[in-house]
Amino acid sequence: MATPATVTIEDIESSSPDMTVKIVKFTGQLDESNVDEKAQAIYDLIEKVPRNLNLIFDFSELEYMNSKSIGYLTDWYGKVYENGGKIVIAQTRPNILDILQVVGLTQLIKTFPTIDEAKFAISHPAS
Amino acid sequence: MNIIMLWVISGVLAVIPAVIWLYIIFSGKKSDKKMLALIFSGGILAVITVFIIQYIWLIVPGIDPFLWIKNNISDPTYYYAGLFIMVGIMEELVKQMMLRYIDSKTVLIQTINDSIKFSLVAALGFAFAENIIYFKTVIIVAPIQEVVVTFLFRSIFTACAHMLFSGIFGYFFGIAKFSLDISKDRHWEGKVYLWVHLIRNTFKIPYAQAFKEYKILEGLLIAIILHATFDYMLQMNQILPVILLVILGYAYLKYLLNRKAGNLILLTDISKKKSSSMAKKDTDVVLQLVGMWFEQKKYVDVMHICERLLERDPDNNVVKLFKAKAMDKLDPNNPYRKILTTIFSKKRGEQEKNTIDYYRRKKEVEQKKLTKEKKEKLFRFIEDKKKEDEETFKINV
Repeated sequence: MATPATVTIEDIESSSPDMTVKIVKFTGQLDESNVDEKAQAIYDLIEKVPRNLNLIFDFSELEYMNSKSIGYLTDWYGKVYENGGKIVIAQTRPNILDILQVVGLTQLIKTFPTIDEAKFAISHPAS
Repeated sequence: MNIIMLWVISGVLAVIPAVIWLYIIFSGKKSDKKMLALIFSGGILAVITVFIIQYIWLIVPGIDPFLWIKNNISDPTYYYAGLFIMVGIMEELVKQMMLRYIDSKTVLIQTINDSIKFSLVAALGFAFAENIIYFKTVIIVAPIQEVVVTFLFRSIFTACAHMLFSGIFGYFFGIAKFSLDISKDRHWEGKVYLWVHLIRNTFKIPYAQAFKEYKILEGLLIAIILHATFDYMLQMNQILPVILLVILGYAYLKYLLNRKAGNLILLTDISKKKSSSMAKKDTDVVLQLVGMWFEQKKYVDVMHICERLLERDPDNNVVKLFKAKAMDKLDPNNPYRKILTTIFSKKRGEQEKNTIDYYRRKKEVEQKKLTKEKKEKLFRFIEDKKKEDEETFKINV
Protein backbone atom coordinates (compact mmCIF):
# COMPACT_ATOMS: atom_id res chain seq x y z
CA MET A 1 0.00 0.00 0.00
CA ALA A 2 1.23 3.45 -0.93
CA THR A 3 2.22 5.85 1.86
CA PRO A 4 -0.17 8.82 2.12
CA ALA A 5 1.12 11.91 0.32
CA THR A 6 -0.57 14.65 -1.69
CA VAL A 7 0.47 17.24 -4.23
CA THR A 8 -1.87 20.17 -4.77
CA ILE A 9 -1.29 22.93 -7.28
CA GLU A 10 -2.68 26.41 -6.84
CA ASP A 11 -2.50 29.32 -9.31
CA ILE A 12 -1.48 32.70 -8.04
CA GLU A 13 -1.49 36.07 -9.70
CA SER A 14 1.70 37.05 -11.40
CA SER A 15 3.28 40.47 -11.77
CA SER A 16 3.94 39.93 -15.47
CA PRO A 17 1.55 38.54 -18.10
CA ASP A 18 4.14 36.21 -19.68
CA MET A 19 4.97 34.66 -16.32
CA THR A 20 3.06 31.76 -14.71
CA VAL A 21 3.31 31.40 -10.94
CA LYS A 22 1.99 28.41 -9.03
CA ILE A 23 2.18 27.15 -5.47
CA VAL A 24 2.74 23.42 -5.24
CA LYS A 25 1.94 22.06 -1.81
CA PHE A 26 3.35 18.70 -0.74
CA THR A 27 2.02 16.81 2.26
CA GLY A 28 2.88 13.51 3.93
CA GLN A 29 5.87 11.35 3.09
CA LEU A 30 7.40 10.94 -0.35
CA ASP A 31 8.86 7.46 -0.53
CA GLU A 32 9.36 4.61 -2.99
CA SER A 33 5.68 3.66 -2.86
CA ASN A 34 4.30 6.99 -4.09
CA VAL A 35 7.09 9.22 -5.40
CA ASP A 36 6.82 8.26 -9.10
CA GLU A 37 3.10 8.92 -9.18
CA LYS A 38 3.38 12.26 -7.37
CA ALA A 39 6.33 13.36 -9.49
CA GLN A 40 4.28 12.85 -12.63
CA ALA A 41 1.95 15.70 -11.57
CA ILE A 42 4.91 18.11 -11.64
CA TYR A 43 6.16 16.78 -14.98
CA ASP A 44 2.65 17.28 -16.42
CA LEU A 45 2.69 20.85 -15.16
CA ILE A 46 6.11 21.54 -16.69
CA GLU A 47 4.88 20.10 -19.99
CA LYS A 48 1.71 22.20 -19.88
CA VAL A 49 3.59 25.44 -19.22
CA PRO A 50 6.75 25.18 -21.30
CA ARG A 51 8.06 28.74 -20.75
CA ASN A 52 8.55 31.01 -17.72
CA LEU A 53 7.02 28.66 -15.19
CA ASN A 54 7.64 29.81 -11.62
CA LEU A 55 6.94 27.35 -8.87
CA ILE A 56 6.79 27.85 -5.13
CA PHE A 57 7.11 24.49 -3.39
CA ASP A 58 5.34 24.60 -0.07
CA PHE A 59 7.02 21.97 2.12
CA SER A 60 5.30 22.96 5.38
CA GLU A 61 3.50 19.62 5.63
CA LEU A 62 6.07 17.45 3.93
CA GLU A 63 7.47 15.09 6.56
CA TYR A 64 9.91 12.95 4.58
CA MET A 65 11.63 12.93 1.20
CA ASN A 66 13.48 9.90 -0.08
CA SER A 67 16.53 10.02 -2.34
CA LYS A 68 14.47 9.52 -5.47
CA SER A 69 12.31 12.56 -4.71
CA ILE A 70 15.48 14.65 -4.28
CA GLY A 71 16.60 13.36 -7.67
CA TYR A 72 13.24 14.45 -9.13
CA LEU A 73 13.54 17.86 -7.49
CA THR A 74 16.91 18.36 -9.19
CA ASP A 75 15.47 17.27 -12.50
CA TRP A 76 12.45 19.62 -12.21
CA TYR A 77 14.81 22.46 -11.37
CA GLY A 78 16.88 21.74 -14.49
CA LYS A 79 13.82 21.61 -16.77
CA VAL A 80 12.18 24.75 -15.37
CA TYR A 81 15.43 26.74 -15.21
CA GLU A 82 16.40 25.89 -18.82
CA ASN A 83 13.06 27.36 -19.95
CA GLY A 84 13.37 30.67 -18.16
CA GLY A 85 11.45 29.66 -15.05
CA LYS A 86 12.27 29.39 -11.40
CA ILE A 87 11.65 27.13 -8.41
CA VAL A 88 11.79 28.29 -4.81
CA ILE A 89 10.99 26.37 -1.66
CA ALA A 90 9.09 27.68 1.33
CA GLN A 91 8.46 26.55 4.90
CA THR A 92 10.76 23.54 4.84
CA ARG A 93 11.03 21.39 7.98
CA PRO A 94 14.52 21.34 9.56
CA ASN A 95 15.23 17.68 8.74
CA ILE A 96 14.39 18.15 5.07
CA LEU A 97 16.31 21.44 4.91
CA ASP A 98 19.26 19.56 6.42
CA ILE A 99 19.17 17.00 3.62
CA LEU A 100 18.77 19.66 0.90
CA GLN A 101 21.74 21.59 2.29
CA VAL A 102 24.02 18.55 2.38
CA VAL A 103 22.99 17.55 -1.13
CA GLY A 104 23.80 21.09 -2.30
CA LEU A 105 20.33 21.87 -3.60
CA THR A 106 20.04 25.01 -1.48
CA GLN A 107 22.85 26.46 -3.59
CA LEU A 108 20.53 26.25 -6.57
CA ILE A 109 17.03 26.56 -5.15
CA LYS A 110 16.38 29.41 -2.75
CA THR A 111 14.54 28.51 0.43
CA PHE A 112 12.31 30.88 2.38
CA PRO A 113 10.75 30.63 5.82
CA THR A 114 7.35 31.90 4.61
CA ILE A 115 5.19 31.71 1.49
CA ASP A 116 5.01 35.51 1.32
CA GLU A 117 8.77 35.83 1.14
CA ALA A 118 8.85 33.18 -1.58
CA LYS A 119 6.14 35.04 -3.52
CA PHE A 120 8.10 38.28 -3.20
CA ALA A 121 11.28 36.60 -4.47
CA ILE A 122 9.42 35.20 -7.47
CA SER A 123 7.80 38.53 -8.39
CA HIS A 124 11.01 40.53 -7.80
CA PRO A 125 13.69 38.46 -9.52
CA ALA A 126 16.45 41.07 -9.07
CA SER A 127 16.09 41.12 -5.31
CA MET B 1 79.42 -30.01 -4.43
CA ASN B 2 79.24 -29.74 -0.67
CA ILE B 3 75.59 -29.98 0.48
CA ILE B 4 75.91 -26.94 2.76
CA MET B 5 77.43 -24.96 -0.10
CA LEU B 6 74.56 -26.06 -2.32
CA TRP B 7 71.98 -24.76 0.15
CA VAL B 8 73.91 -21.49 0.55
CA ILE B 9 74.12 -20.90 -3.23
CA SER B 10 70.41 -21.74 -3.65
CA GLY B 11 69.57 -19.42 -0.75
CA VAL B 12 71.59 -16.56 -2.23
CA LEU B 13 69.97 -17.05 -5.65
CA ALA B 14 66.50 -17.14 -4.06
CA VAL B 15 67.06 -14.06 -1.94
CA ILE B 16 67.98 -11.86 -4.95
CA PRO B 17 64.48 -11.74 -6.53
CA ALA B 18 62.84 -11.44 -3.08
CA VAL B 19 64.91 -8.34 -2.26
CA ILE B 20 64.34 -6.79 -5.69
CA TRP B 21 60.56 -7.34 -5.52
CA LEU B 22 60.38 -6.01 -1.96
CA TYR B 23 62.28 -2.93 -3.11
CA ILE B 24 59.87 -2.46 -6.05
CA ILE B 25 56.81 -2.74 -3.79
CA PHE B 26 57.99 -0.71 -0.82
CA SER B 27 60.59 1.75 -2.15
CA GLY B 28 59.80 5.28 -1.04
CA LYS B 29 56.93 4.14 1.20
CA LYS B 30 56.85 4.09 4.96
CA SER B 31 56.80 0.52 6.19
CA ASP B 32 57.39 -1.35 9.40
CA LYS B 33 60.41 -3.50 8.50
CA LYS B 34 60.00 -5.80 11.50
CA MET B 35 56.42 -6.53 10.51
CA LEU B 36 57.44 -7.14 6.90
CA ALA B 37 60.10 -9.59 8.09
CA LEU B 38 57.50 -11.36 10.22
CA ILE B 39 55.09 -11.73 7.31
CA PHE B 40 57.93 -12.83 5.00
CA SER B 41 58.84 -15.49 7.57
CA GLY B 42 55.17 -16.46 7.66
CA GLY B 43 55.37 -17.10 3.91
CA ILE B 44 58.44 -19.32 4.43
CA LEU B 45 56.62 -21.13 7.22
CA ALA B 46 53.74 -21.76 4.81
CA VAL B 47 56.07 -23.84 2.59
CA ILE B 48 57.21 -25.80 5.63
CA THR B 49 53.53 -26.36 6.51
CA VAL B 50 52.93 -27.74 3.00
CA PHE B 51 55.84 -30.16 3.54
CA ILE B 52 54.45 -31.25 6.89
CA ILE B 53 51.03 -31.91 5.33
CA GLN B 54 52.64 -33.87 2.50
CA TYR B 55 54.65 -35.87 5.07
CA ILE B 56 51.45 -36.69 6.95
CA TRP B 57 49.92 -37.90 3.68
CA LEU B 58 52.94 -40.13 3.15
CA ILE B 59 52.36 -41.74 6.54
CA VAL B 60 48.57 -41.90 6.08
CA PRO B 61 48.07 -42.38 2.31
CA GLY B 62 44.33 -42.87 2.78
CA ILE B 63 43.84 -39.11 3.28
CA ASP B 64 46.21 -38.04 0.46
CA PRO B 65 44.08 -36.21 -2.18
CA PHE B 66 46.95 -36.32 -4.70
CA LEU B 67 47.08 -40.09 -4.45
CA TRP B 68 43.32 -40.24 -4.89
CA ILE B 69 43.57 -38.11 -8.07
CA LYS B 70 46.42 -40.31 -9.36
CA ASN B 71 44.48 -43.53 -8.75
CA ASN B 72 41.10 -42.37 -10.01
CA ILE B 73 41.73 -40.01 -12.94
CA SER B 74 43.37 -41.57 -15.97
CA ASP B 75 42.75 -38.84 -18.57
CA PRO B 76 45.91 -36.64 -18.52
CA THR B 77 43.96 -33.38 -19.03
CA TYR B 78 41.65 -34.00 -16.08
CA TYR B 79 44.49 -35.49 -14.06
CA TYR B 80 46.63 -32.36 -14.36
CA ALA B 81 43.61 -30.08 -13.88
CA GLY B 82 42.72 -31.93 -10.66
CA LEU B 83 46.32 -32.05 -9.52
CA PHE B 84 46.92 -28.32 -9.98
CA ILE B 85 43.59 -27.32 -8.48
CA MET B 86 44.65 -29.31 -5.41
CA VAL B 87 48.08 -27.58 -5.41
CA GLY B 88 46.32 -24.21 -5.75
CA ILE B 89 43.95 -24.94 -2.86
CA MET B 90 46.75 -26.11 -0.58
CA GLU B 91 49.28 -23.38 -1.31
CA GLU B 92 46.82 -20.47 -1.34
CA LEU B 93 45.17 -21.65 1.87
CA VAL B 94 48.43 -21.97 3.84
CA LYS B 95 49.81 -18.65 2.51
CA GLN B 96 46.70 -16.78 3.59
CA MET B 97 46.40 -18.58 6.91
CA MET B 98 49.75 -17.09 7.92
CA LEU B 99 48.65 -13.57 7.04
CA ARG B 100 45.29 -13.98 8.74
CA TYR B 101 46.97 -15.34 11.85
CA ILE B 102 49.41 -12.40 12.08
CA ASP B 103 46.58 -9.93 11.39
CA SER B 104 44.45 -11.44 14.13
CA LYS B 105 47.29 -10.95 16.63
CA THR B 106 48.25 -7.39 15.62
CA VAL B 107 46.51 -4.34 14.13
CA LEU B 108 48.25 -5.05 10.86
CA ILE B 109 45.75 -4.29 8.14
CA GLN B 110 44.27 -0.79 8.24
CA THR B 111 43.48 -0.30 4.55
CA ILE B 112 42.56 -2.54 1.63
CA ASN B 113 45.98 -1.83 0.14
CA ASP B 114 47.66 -2.99 3.36
CA SER B 115 45.95 -6.31 2.87
CA ILE B 116 47.21 -6.51 -0.73
CA LYS B 117 50.78 -5.46 0.15
CA PHE B 118 51.14 -7.83 3.10
CA SER B 119 49.74 -10.66 0.97
CA LEU B 120 52.43 -9.86 -1.60
CA VAL B 121 55.09 -10.10 1.10
CA ALA B 122 53.73 -13.46 2.32
CA ALA B 123 53.76 -14.65 -1.31
CA LEU B 124 57.38 -13.52 -1.70
CA GLY B 125 58.34 -15.45 1.44
CA PHE B 126 56.61 -18.49 -0.01
CA ALA B 127 58.27 -18.09 -3.42
CA PHE B 128 61.66 -17.58 -1.69
CA ALA B 129 61.42 -20.89 0.20
CA GLU B 130 60.07 -22.71 -2.85
CA ASN B 131 62.86 -21.24 -5.04
CA ILE B 132 65.60 -22.51 -2.70
CA ILE B 133 64.35 -26.06 -3.18
CA TYR B 134 63.95 -25.65 -6.95
CA PHE B 135 67.37 -24.04 -7.42
CA LYS B 136 69.04 -26.73 -5.31
CA THR B 137 67.48 -29.49 -7.43
CA VAL B 138 68.31 -27.79 -10.74
CA ILE B 139 71.93 -27.06 -9.73
CA ILE B 140 72.46 -30.78 -9.00
CA VAL B 141 70.89 -32.22 -12.15
CA ALA B 142 71.02 -29.57 -14.89
CA PRO B 143 73.72 -27.78 -16.87
CA ILE B 144 74.56 -24.14 -16.06
CA GLN B 145 72.40 -22.73 -18.93
CA GLU B 146 69.32 -24.43 -17.51
CA VAL B 147 70.15 -23.14 -14.04
CA VAL B 148 70.27 -19.59 -15.44
CA VAL B 149 66.96 -20.01 -17.32
CA THR B 150 65.27 -21.51 -14.23
CA PHE B 151 66.67 -18.71 -12.08
CA LEU B 152 65.41 -15.99 -14.40
CA PHE B 153 62.00 -17.55 -15.01
CA ARG B 154 61.30 -18.34 -11.36
CA SER B 155 62.68 -15.00 -10.18
CA ILE B 156 60.52 -12.99 -12.52
CA PHE B 157 57.44 -14.98 -13.43
CA THR B 158 56.95 -17.54 -10.66
CA ALA B 159 57.57 -14.98 -7.91
CA CYS B 160 55.30 -12.53 -9.72
CA ALA B 161 52.65 -15.22 -10.19
CA HIS B 162 52.67 -16.04 -6.46
CA MET B 163 52.32 -12.33 -5.72
CA LEU B 164 49.47 -12.09 -8.20
CA PHE B 165 47.49 -14.97 -6.66
CA SER B 166 48.05 -13.78 -3.11
CA GLY B 167 47.62 -10.10 -3.98
CA ILE B 168 44.22 -10.73 -5.51
CA PHE B 169 43.21 -12.77 -2.48
CA GLY B 170 44.61 -9.93 -0.33
CA TYR B 171 42.29 -7.48 -2.08
CA PHE B 172 39.24 -9.63 -1.33
CA PHE B 173 40.47 -10.25 2.21
CA GLY B 174 40.77 -6.47 2.67
CA ILE B 175 37.18 -6.02 1.49
CA ALA B 176 36.09 -8.82 3.81
CA LYS B 177 37.94 -7.31 6.75
CA PHE B 178 36.10 -4.02 6.32
CA SER B 179 32.84 -5.71 5.35
CA LEU B 180 30.82 -3.65 7.82
CA ASP B 181 31.47 -0.44 5.86
CA ILE B 182 31.95 -1.91 2.40
CA SER B 183 28.74 -3.98 2.47
CA LYS B 184 26.84 -0.75 3.29
CA ASP B 185 28.61 1.07 0.46
CA ARG B 186 27.61 -1.67 -2.00
CA HIS B 187 24.07 -1.65 -0.59
CA TRP B 188 23.66 2.07 -1.30
CA GLU B 189 25.03 1.52 -4.79
CA GLY B 190 22.08 -0.81 -5.25
CA LYS B 191 24.17 -3.95 -5.69
CA VAL B 192 22.45 -7.22 -4.78
CA TYR B 193 24.50 -10.28 -3.87
CA LEU B 194 22.38 -13.40 -4.05
CA TRP B 195 25.13 -15.58 -2.56
CA VAL B 196 25.42 -13.27 0.45
CA HIS B 197 21.68 -13.58 1.07
CA LEU B 198 21.99 -17.35 0.73
CA ILE B 199 24.88 -17.52 3.23
CA ARG B 200 23.03 -15.20 5.63
CA ASN B 201 19.83 -17.23 5.49
CA THR B 202 21.58 -20.60 5.67
CA PHE B 203 23.83 -19.83 8.63
CA LYS B 204 21.53 -17.23 10.28
CA ILE B 205 24.32 -14.66 10.52
CA PRO B 206 24.24 -10.85 10.07
CA TYR B 207 24.49 -9.51 6.51
CA ALA B 208 27.95 -7.93 7.00
CA GLN B 209 29.35 -11.22 8.28
CA ALA B 210 27.81 -13.14 5.38
CA PHE B 211 29.34 -10.54 3.02
CA LYS B 212 32.71 -11.09 4.70
CA GLU B 213 32.58 -14.87 4.30
CA TYR B 214 31.44 -14.49 0.69
CA LYS B 215 34.31 -12.14 -0.19
CA ILE B 216 36.91 -14.44 1.42
CA LEU B 217 35.53 -17.40 -0.52
CA GLU B 218 35.40 -15.38 -3.74
CA GLY B 219 39.03 -14.25 -3.32
CA LEU B 220 40.20 -17.74 -2.49
CA LEU B 221 38.38 -19.20 -5.48
CA ILE B 222 39.88 -16.66 -7.90
CA ALA B 223 43.39 -17.19 -6.44
CA ILE B 224 43.02 -20.99 -6.72
CA ILE B 225 41.72 -20.84 -10.31
CA LEU B 226 44.56 -18.50 -11.34
CA HIS B 227 47.14 -20.67 -9.58
CA ALA B 228 45.83 -23.88 -11.16
CA THR B 229 45.69 -22.22 -14.62
CA PHE B 230 49.28 -20.99 -14.24
CA ASP B 231 50.59 -24.42 -13.20
CA TYR B 232 48.56 -26.23 -15.85
CA MET B 233 49.79 -23.98 -18.66
CA LEU B 234 53.37 -24.39 -17.45
CA GLN B 235 52.93 -28.15 -17.46
CA MET B 236 51.66 -27.92 -21.06
CA ASN B 237 54.63 -25.69 -21.99
CA GLN B 238 52.32 -22.77 -22.84
CA ILE B 239 54.93 -20.17 -21.91
CA LEU B 240 53.47 -17.22 -23.84
CA PRO B 241 49.98 -17.41 -22.21
CA VAL B 242 51.73 -17.81 -18.83
CA ILE B 243 53.75 -14.62 -19.40
CA LEU B 244 50.62 -12.81 -20.61
CA LEU B 245 48.64 -13.94 -17.55
CA VAL B 246 51.35 -12.67 -15.21
CA ILE B 247 51.76 -9.32 -17.00
CA LEU B 248 48.00 -8.66 -17.07
CA GLY B 249 47.65 -9.75 -13.46
CA TYR B 250 50.50 -7.48 -12.40
CA ALA B 251 48.90 -4.53 -14.24
CA TYR B 252 45.59 -5.26 -12.47
CA LEU B 253 47.30 -5.37 -9.07
CA LYS B 254 49.07 -2.09 -9.85
CA TYR B 255 45.70 -0.54 -10.70
CA LEU B 256 44.20 -1.81 -7.43
CA LEU B 257 47.13 -0.41 -5.46
CA ASN B 258 46.86 3.03 -7.09
CA ARG B 259 43.20 3.51 -6.18
CA LYS B 260 42.44 6.17 -3.58
CA ALA B 261 39.70 3.96 -2.13
CA GLY B 262 42.33 1.29 -1.46
CA ASN B 263 44.43 3.69 0.60
CA LEU B 264 41.59 4.81 2.86
CA ILE B 265 42.19 4.00 6.50
CA LEU B 266 39.06 2.05 7.35
CA LEU B 267 40.19 0.70 10.69
CA THR B 268 38.79 3.20 13.17
CA ASP B 269 39.03 3.41 16.91
CA ILE B 270 35.38 3.41 18.04
CA SER B 271 36.25 5.25 21.27
CA LYS B 272 37.65 8.16 19.22
CA LYS B 273 34.86 8.19 16.64
CA LYS B 274 33.14 11.58 16.32
CA SER B 275 29.36 11.47 16.38
CA SER B 276 27.28 12.70 13.49
CA SER B 277 25.35 15.97 13.68
CA MET B 278 22.77 14.55 11.30
CA ALA B 279 20.01 12.07 12.07
CA LYS B 280 20.73 8.52 10.81
CA LYS B 281 17.51 8.48 8.80
CA ASP B 282 18.54 11.70 7.00
CA THR B 283 22.11 10.43 6.42
CA ASP B 284 20.61 7.30 4.88
CA VAL B 285 18.52 9.39 2.46
CA VAL B 286 21.64 11.28 1.35
CA LEU B 287 23.68 8.07 1.06
CA GLN B 288 20.97 6.47 -1.04
CA LEU B 289 21.10 9.49 -3.37
CA VAL B 290 24.90 9.33 -3.44
CA GLY B 291 24.70 5.64 -4.42
CA MET B 292 22.12 6.43 -7.10
CA TRP B 293 24.18 9.25 -8.59
CA PHE B 294 27.38 7.22 -8.39
CA GLU B 295 25.69 4.59 -10.56
CA GLN B 296 24.57 7.39 -12.93
CA LYS B 297 28.22 8.53 -13.17
CA LYS B 298 27.53 11.93 -11.53
CA TYR B 299 30.92 11.73 -9.84
CA VAL B 300 31.44 15.49 -9.29
CA ASP B 301 28.12 15.77 -7.45
CA VAL B 302 28.93 12.64 -5.44
CA MET B 303 32.26 14.14 -4.38
CA HIS B 304 30.71 17.47 -3.33
CA ILE B 305 27.88 15.81 -1.40
CA CYS B 306 30.34 13.52 0.37
CA GLU B 307 32.51 16.50 1.35
CA ARG B 308 29.49 18.28 2.88
CA LEU B 309 28.30 15.08 4.56
CA LEU B 310 31.75 14.52 6.06
CA GLU B 311 31.56 17.96 7.67
CA ARG B 312 28.46 16.70 9.49
CA ASP B 313 29.58 13.09 10.01
CA PRO B 314 33.41 13.13 9.91
CA ASP B 315 34.08 9.48 10.71
CA ASN B 316 31.58 7.88 8.37
CA ASN B 317 33.65 5.36 6.40
CA VAL B 318 30.89 4.69 3.87
CA VAL B 319 30.92 8.39 2.88
CA LYS B 320 34.72 8.34 2.73
CA LEU B 321 34.58 5.29 0.46
CA PHE B 322 32.11 6.93 -1.92
CA LYS B 323 34.23 10.09 -2.07
CA ALA B 324 37.43 8.12 -2.78
CA LYS B 325 35.69 6.04 -5.42
CA ALA B 326 34.30 9.15 -7.14
CA MET B 327 37.79 10.70 -7.05
CA ASP B 328 39.22 7.52 -8.57
CA LYS B 329 36.69 7.70 -11.37
CA LEU B 330 37.53 11.34 -12.09
CA ASP B 331 41.29 10.91 -11.83
CA PRO B 332 42.71 11.43 -15.35
CA ASN B 333 45.77 9.35 -14.39
CA ASN B 334 43.65 6.36 -13.45
CA PRO B 335 45.06 3.57 -15.70
CA TYR B 336 41.67 1.83 -15.96
CA ARG B 337 40.08 5.09 -17.14
CA LYS B 338 42.94 5.64 -19.60
CA ILE B 339 42.46 2.17 -21.12
CA LEU B 340 38.69 2.64 -21.40
CA THR B 341 39.11 6.09 -22.94
CA THR B 342 41.58 4.77 -25.49
CA ILE B 343 39.62 1.66 -26.44
CA PHE B 344 36.00 2.80 -26.35
CA SER B 345 35.53 6.52 -26.67
CA LYS B 346 37.59 9.64 -26.51
CA LYS B 347 34.59 11.57 -25.22
CA ARG B 348 34.03 9.38 -22.18
CA GLY B 349 34.65 12.38 -19.94
CA GLU B 350 31.54 14.03 -21.35
CA GLN B 351 29.39 11.14 -20.16
CA GLU B 352 30.17 12.05 -16.58
CA LYS B 353 27.09 14.15 -16.03
CA ASN B 354 26.71 16.20 -12.92
CA THR B 355 23.52 18.04 -12.32
CA ILE B 356 23.90 20.26 -9.29
CA ASP B 357 27.46 21.22 -10.13
CA TYR B 358 26.48 22.02 -13.74
CA TYR B 359 23.70 24.44 -12.72
CA ARG B 360 25.74 25.89 -9.88
CA ARG B 361 28.55 26.79 -12.29
CA LYS B 362 26.05 28.12 -14.85
CA LYS B 363 24.53 30.34 -12.16
CA GLU B 364 27.96 31.59 -11.12
CA VAL B 365 28.77 32.53 -14.72
CA GLU B 366 25.44 34.36 -15.03
CA GLN B 367 26.04 36.19 -11.77
CA LYS B 368 29.51 37.18 -12.95
CA LYS B 369 28.00 38.51 -16.20
CA LEU B 370 25.47 40.46 -14.16
CA THR B 371 28.21 41.92 -12.01
CA LYS B 372 30.12 42.90 -15.16
CA GLU B 373 27.02 44.59 -16.58
CA LYS B 374 26.48 46.39 -13.27
CA LYS B 375 30.12 47.49 -13.25
CA GLU B 376 29.83 48.83 -16.82
CA LYS B 377 26.64 50.69 -15.90
CA LEU B 378 28.33 52.19 -12.87
CA PHE B 379 31.38 53.13 -14.93
CA ARG B 380 29.16 54.86 -17.54
CA PHE B 381 27.30 56.67 -14.76
CA ILE B 382 30.59 57.93 -13.28
CA GLU B 383 31.84 59.01 -16.73
CA ASP B 384 28.61 60.92 -17.43
CA LYS B 385 28.73 62.54 -14.02
CA LYS B 386 32.34 63.54 -14.64
CA LYS B 387 31.44 65.11 -17.98
CA GLU B 388 28.50 66.88 -16.38
CA ASP B 389 30.75 68.24 -13.63
CA GLU B 390 33.31 69.41 -16.18
CA GLU B 391 30.57 71.24 -18.12
CA THR B 392 29.31 72.91 -14.93
CA PHE B 393 32.88 73.88 -14.06
CA LYS B 394 33.35 75.49 -17.51
CA ILE B 395 30.11 77.46 -17.14
CA ASN B 396 31.11 78.62 -13.68
CA VAL B 397 34.50 79.78 -14.92
